[in-house]
Amino acid sequence: MKRVFTSLFASAALLFAAQNEIRATTVTVFAAASLTDSLKQIAADYEKTSGDKIVFNFAASGTLARQIEAGAPADIFFSADETKADALEKKGLLVRGTRKSLLGNSLVIVTPTDAAAIHSPAEFTNAVVQHIALGEVKTVPCGTYAKAYLEKLSLWSAIENKVVPCESVRAVLAAVESGNVDVGFVYKTDAAISKKVQVAYEVPAADAPKISYPVALIKDAPQPDAAKKFIGYLDSDAATAVFKQFGFIVLTSPTTE
Amino acid sequence: MSGVEWQLVGFSLRMALTSLLLILPVGLALAWWLARKNWPGKALVETLVSLPLVLPPVVTGLLLLQLFGRRGLVGSWLHSTLDCDVVFTWRAVVIALAAMSLPLFVRAARTAFEEVDVKFEQLARTLGAGEWRVFFTITLPLAKRGVLAGTLLSFARALGEFGATIMVAGNIPGRTTTLPVAIYQAVENGEDAHAWTLAGVSAVIAFAAVFISEKLLRRKT
Amino acid sequence: MNGKILTANFRKQFPGGPEIVADDLRIGGGITVLFGASGSGKTTILRCLAGLEIPDEGEIKFGGESWFQKSGKRQAASGHIFAPPQKRRIGFVPQDYALFPHLSVVDNIGYGLKELPATERTLRVAETLHWLGLEDLEMRLPRELSGGQQQRVALARAVVRRPKLLLLDEPLAALDTPTRLRLRGELRQLLRQLGIPTILVTHDRFEALALGDEVVVLHAGRNVQQGAAPDVFSQPANLAVAEITAVETILSGHILATLNGLATVAVGATRLIALAKDLPPAARAVYVCIRAEDVILIRNDVIQSSPRNHLPATVRELGREGPLVRVTLDCGFSLIALLTQSACEELALQKGEQLFALLKTPQVHLISFAG
Repeated sequence: MKRVFTSLFASAALLFAAQNEIRATTVTVFAAASLTDSLKQIAADYEKTSGDKIVFNFAASGTLARQIEAGAPADIFFSADETKADALEKKGLLVRGTRKSLLGNSLVIVTPTDAAAIHSPAEFTNAVVQHIALGEVKTVPCGTYAKAYLEKLSLWSAIENKVVPCESVRAVLAAVESGNVDVGFVYKTDAAISKKVQVAYEVPAADAPKISYPVALIKDAPQPDAAKKFIGYLDSDAATAVFKQFGFIVLTSPTTE
Repeated sequence: MSGVEWQLVGFSLRMALTSLLLILPVGLALAWWLARKNWPGKALVETLVSLPLVLPPVVTGLLLLQLFGRRGLVGSWLHSTLDCDVVFTWRAVVIALAAMSLPLFVRAARTAFEEVDVKFEQLARTLGAGEWRVFFTITLPLAKRGVLAGTLLSFARALGEFGATIMVAGNIPGRTTTLPVAIYQAVENGEDAHAWTLAGVSAVIAFAAVFISEKLLRRKT
Repeated sequence: MNGKILTANFRKQFPGGPEIVADDLRIGGGITVLFGASGSGKTTILRCLAGLEIPDEGEIKFGGESWFQKSGKRQAASGHIFAPPQKRRIGFVPQDYALFPHLSVVDNIGYGLKELPATERTLRVAETLHWLGLEDLEMRLPRELSGGQQQRVALARAVVRRPKLLLLDEPLAALDTPTRLRLRGELRQLLRQLGIPTILVTHDRFEALALGDEVVVLHAGRNVQQGAAPDVFSQPANLAVAEITAVETILSGHILATLNGLATVAVGATRLIALAKDLPPAARAVYVCIRAEDVILIRNDVIQSSPRNHLPATVRELGREGPLVRVTLDCGFSLIALLTQSACEELALQKGEQLFALLKTPQVHLISFAG
C-alpha cells in the first residue's frame, strides 16, 4: 500500500512540475466580452509566429477590474471603456506608460430576427416593447454607454422599469437571440457575428457617447516581457486588419498616461 | 440596514413564501403518491424529483429557461394566449425557487407519510371517509412534524437559491433581485459592506429555519 | 338468525405464501365466529369482507348488494366490481384497535358520523359513550387508556354508525388473561344487545364457544366446517377439524350451586363438580366441555382418589384412531374418552362393559352463555 501511495505522490509532483514547465511563456489577457471573437483569432495568428501561448478571460470590463483588484494573476487588461482602466490606474494596478486606447465601436439597437421592427429608440415607450436588455450599468461599459445615450434622449426615466440588466454585452446578445427580450443594446461588432438578431437602429456617432477600448500592462504581471510583446502586436497591421474585419474602429493615435 | 436592504429582504421573503404556494400542493401530492402507491416507472419519477438536488442549479435554470422562455413550450402559450411573460419577471423567480426547493420538501414529506401506519387510513375508510378526507384528517395530521420540517427546509432553500434564479429571472433591481443575487451583485460592484450586511441577514434566516426544522424532525412522539 | 345475509366465494394467493379460500361461505345474522389456528386465513378473509384486501377472483355479496366480483377469466372485462370499505356500511375493529392517536375518545368515536348534523352527532356519541361506560374518558387520548378501555372505544367507534355488519378481529387477544376472561362475557352481552350481524375472528376455542352462535372452522386457509358452536366442536367433520377444536365432549348444563369455588353442574340427571372460576356470578346455563384425553377409566371404584367426579359409564362404541382408541361412553350423557391401545387391552374393554369414568374438577370446563 505504501508503495502505491509513494508512486502516486511522485507522479503527481512530477506532473505539477511539468505543468509549470509548459506554462513558461503563457500570457494571460483579461479582455472585454465584445472582443471575444476578434482577439481569439489574433491570438491564434500570434501563437504561430511567436511561440508564446495566449490565455483569455472574457467578461464585462467591470467584472474583470474587480478580479484584478482582488489579485487575479493577469498580464494584460483590455477594457471596453476608459473609466474601468482609470479606476485601476488610480489604485496603481496598471504599469505606467503601457496604456494605449486601441479601438472604438458603435452602439446598435438589436431585435430578434422574428420580432416586429423597431425604427428608433423613441419606440421603446410603446407597449409592444416590454423588456429592454442592457448591460449592467455599473459593470458593463456597453450598458453604461447605452444608459448615457438614453438619458441624453430623455428617455431613460420613461423606460427604466423595462430594463433587464445583463452581466456582459454577450449576455445581452444572448437574451435578444432567445427572444425573451424585445430589444437590446450591443456593439455593432457583436451584432455582426450573430445570425439571430437584426440591427434595428445604429446609434449615430454624434449622439453616442465616446466609446474607447484601452489596453494596458498590469502591475505585478507574471509575464511582463511576453505581455509587452503581445500588446505591441495588437498595434500591428496584421492585428489591426483583423479588428477592422470584425467591424471595430481602429484609433490611429494611441494615448499614453 | 437601509431601506433598500429591507425591501430586498422583504422581496426575497415574499418570493419564497409565494413559491411555497406552488410547492405545497404539488409536493404533498407527489410525496403521497410516492409513499403510498407503486407503479411501473416509479423509479423514474423518484429520480426526476430528486434531480434538482444534484444537478448544477444553472442546468435547472437552463431547462426552465427553455420551457418558460417566450419561445418555449409553456412560455409561448402564456405569451400568446395570456400576454403573460415569465422570464425576467417575478413569476420566473417563484418558478425557479419552487423547482429548486421542491425535492427537499418531497423527500421530507414522503418520509413523514411513510411513517404513518396505513392501518389508521384503512380504518378511516371503514368509517366511511373518502380518500380526500382520509388524507386531510388522518394522514396529514399524523405526518405533521415531518411535513412542517420539510416546509421550513424548502423555504430556507428557496431564500438561498441563486443559480437557477439568475438564469431565468435575471437581476432586475426591485423586480427580480433576490437576496443571494443582490449579494453577488454587491460583490461585483465592490460594495463590500452592503454585501456583508445582506449575507448576514441570509445566514440568520437560514440558521433559524434549519435549526427549527431539525428539532421538528428529531423529536418523535 | 334465520336466512343467510352474506355469501362469499373467493380466493387470494399470497406470492410465495399460502392461498386463502372462502369456499361457499354463508353467514347469517347473529354472531358468527371464524375459528382457526394462527395463519389459517381468518384475518385475511375478514379483511376481504371489509374491503381492506382484494381477492384475486370470486365474489362477495351482502344482502342484495354485490361487494366484490371478479372473474378469473382474463377476457371478462365486464363485471369487475369492487365496493370500497366506504361503500359497505361496516364496523371494523382490528386486533390492535387502531384508535386514531391524535384524536380524543369523543373525536375517535364521532369520526364516522360526519354526515350527521352536529347535534345529532353529539347525541349519538354521548349515547354510545354511556352504553359502554366511557363517560369519564371523553377527552382522553388513546394512549392514556387501558387495554380494556381502548377495546370499548374501538367498539364504540365501529357501532356508532349503526353498521349493517360488524367485523371484529381477535377482539380480546390484545388484553391480558384476567381482563380477557372478564370481558368475554361482557362482550357477548354487548353484541347481543346491539343485534348487529357480527363476524368475529378468534383462535381461542373457548372464546368461540362463548361468543359465537355459529362457528366457521378454518384450516389451512380454507373454511372446512360450519355450524352451531357446540355441534362443530363435538362433531368435527374430519380429523383436521377435530385437531383444531380439540374438545370432544360438549354438553349443555345447568349450574345448581356454587360453593367454595366449586360449581355443581347438572347435565341431564348426572351431577358434575367443576371449578367455578371465571364464571359470572349469576351464571346458570353453561356449556360443559370435556377433552377426551382428560377422561380416566377404571374398572372398580373402590379406591380413594382425588378426582371429584366418578361417573358410572357404559361402553357404547370403540373406534381405533391410529395408536389410540376412541371410546364412546354413556354416563347419562355421551362422553368421549381417548385411550391407548394397550390400556384398552389391559382393561379388556368391550361394548356394553360397565366401568367408571374419572374427571378432575379443572377438566370439566364451563362456558357460560347468556342464552
